[in-house]
Amino acid sequence: MGAIQGLEIRRSSASLRGSSTTLRKAPTVAKYIDTSICIGCKACEVACQEWNDLPVAKTEQVGTYQTMPTMQANYWNLIQFREVQTPQSGLEWLLRKDQCMHCDDPGCLAACPAPGAIVQYVNGIVDVDPEKCIGCKLCETGCPFDVPRYSAANDKMAKCTLCVDRVHVGLEPACIKACPTGCLQFGDKTALVEMANHRIAQLKENGFAQAMLYDPPGVGGTGVITVLKHGDHPEWYGLPKDPSVPTTVGIWKRVLHPIGFIAMAAAVFGAIGHFMAFGPKKPKDTARESGDEV
Amino acid sequence: MSELRIPGATPVAGPTAMQVARDREDVVIGDELVRHKLSSRVIHWTVAVFFFVALLSGMPIWSPVFGWMAFLFGGLSVCRWLHPWSGVAFAVASLVMFVLWVGQMRFDATDRKFNVMEYLRFSGKEDPEVGKYNAGQKFFFWMALFTMLALLLTGIVLWWPSYFSQTLRSISILLHDLCYIGFFAAIVGHIYLGTAAEPGTFRSMTRGTVTRPWARLHHPRWYRDVTGDRR
Repeated sequence: MGAIQGLEIRRSSASLRGSSTTLRKAPTVAKYIDTSICIGCKACEVACQEWNDLPVAKTEQVGTYQTMPTMQANYWNLIQFREVQTPQSGLEWLLRKDQCMHCDDPGCLAACPAPGAIVQYVNGIVDVDPEKCIGCKLCETGCPFDVPRYSAANDKMAKCTLCVDRVHVGLEPACIKACPTGCLQFGDKTALVEMANHRIAQLKENGFAQAMLYDPPGVGGTGVITVLKHGDHPEWYGLPKDPSVPTTVGIWKRVLHPIGFIAMAAAVFGAIGHFMAFGPKKPKDTARESGDEV
Repeated sequence: MSELRIPGATPVAGPTAMQVARDREDVVIGDELVRHKLSSRVIHWTVAVFFFVALLSGMPIWSPVFGWMAFLFGGLSVCRWLHPWSGVAFAVASLVMFVLWVGQMRFDATDRKFNVMEYLRFSGKEDPEVGKYNAGQKFFFWMALFTMLALLLTGIVLWWPSYFSQTLRSISILLHDLCYIGFFAAIVGHIYLGTAAEPGTFRSMTRGTVTRPWARLHHPRWYRDVTGDRR
């Protein structure tokens, strides 16, 4: 989407400025997903395709109702249909809306080498600016949720924008608008977490003792918070258990970068210093020869 | 070509050293020794050009501090494809160079006695048994080969990440970085020793020839073998 007018940028990829500090207070927005009342109608999938004007994606039969095996560069919102054998109640049909999680500490943004190609707005939405994206795919390595998708057609990366173009004019994301069961909600994250806790209490009363809110602290929490009946088994829903920005991305940016600068400078200054200390090595018996012609 | 005169060289009948250097090396012509024949020099500079294109197009991807380098090629989106392709060209040229040069780069008994700290002191106390390449040069050759292979393999993983596991990608990012940092430092040393530090060396990679005093100082055994001069 690029820089949306009126939305300030909190963080930008490959920036030498670090996080920008703004005096304006903006609430962190979030998308709330209650997997326990999702009916798998895929209205959110259609709404996403429609609003974002994405070309029709080819569906693929995977043996369930799922539209295709994974998200694609032109399919950012995918309901996962999973059949899981649970110890409590035997076979369960677990549905979850899969999309970009809008991490507070986005691994994609940390890994991105193109200045400004991935930005995090002050309200927490993580977005790609196709104008600046170079299509290098390093964000794929940075993302713990396997979300960014590379599109060969335009050599860019694409993912859910949390409908930042709707949000910045006060509308809710298209998927939320389309959801018929109320399992999707949008708003201020603090309020939605409260709502989630209320719902989790209800689930616990109804026999789901392990009901939990999926808001993993390893990535600073996410802008997409998910109520799971089996919160102790996020992997049943296709979610990683303790996701975090890959350690290597941190080592790469925070350790290898300074080491690299020091080593490169040391090599250059080492050569200059050596020349001054030990001088050029010339044959001794070259008095008759002139200058450089050794 | 007879008007091309090396100062201090005695005029000789027949072809000049540069002419001989087109297809022969390790021969003495008048006051000059042919060190690198034309094919060796061409492959060296082919490798060098691709190395620097890959280096300069990779550095702005490595850090925004070097973002300005991207404009040498027309921006970061050009670097995005130029870097991997010039890297592949560098690897291919390096492999050709490897095939052409490997015969001369095997370590021998003399190389065991090579002390790099002593060497860098430029004390003039050279081992009289140093041949056409000293142990440092051979080490640089093997270092360049293995670093190139590591850069190529990790580079392929970074180029097409979706075909590889997250672990392999993570290892590749770090290894690609480490190899780059190491190679950068090594290439600074390589250029320094080949130009300012040891005058008379650079022309062996341009004209292909060196002088007798240069050869006697830096590569005494090679000098004796080529000239038959036992001094």
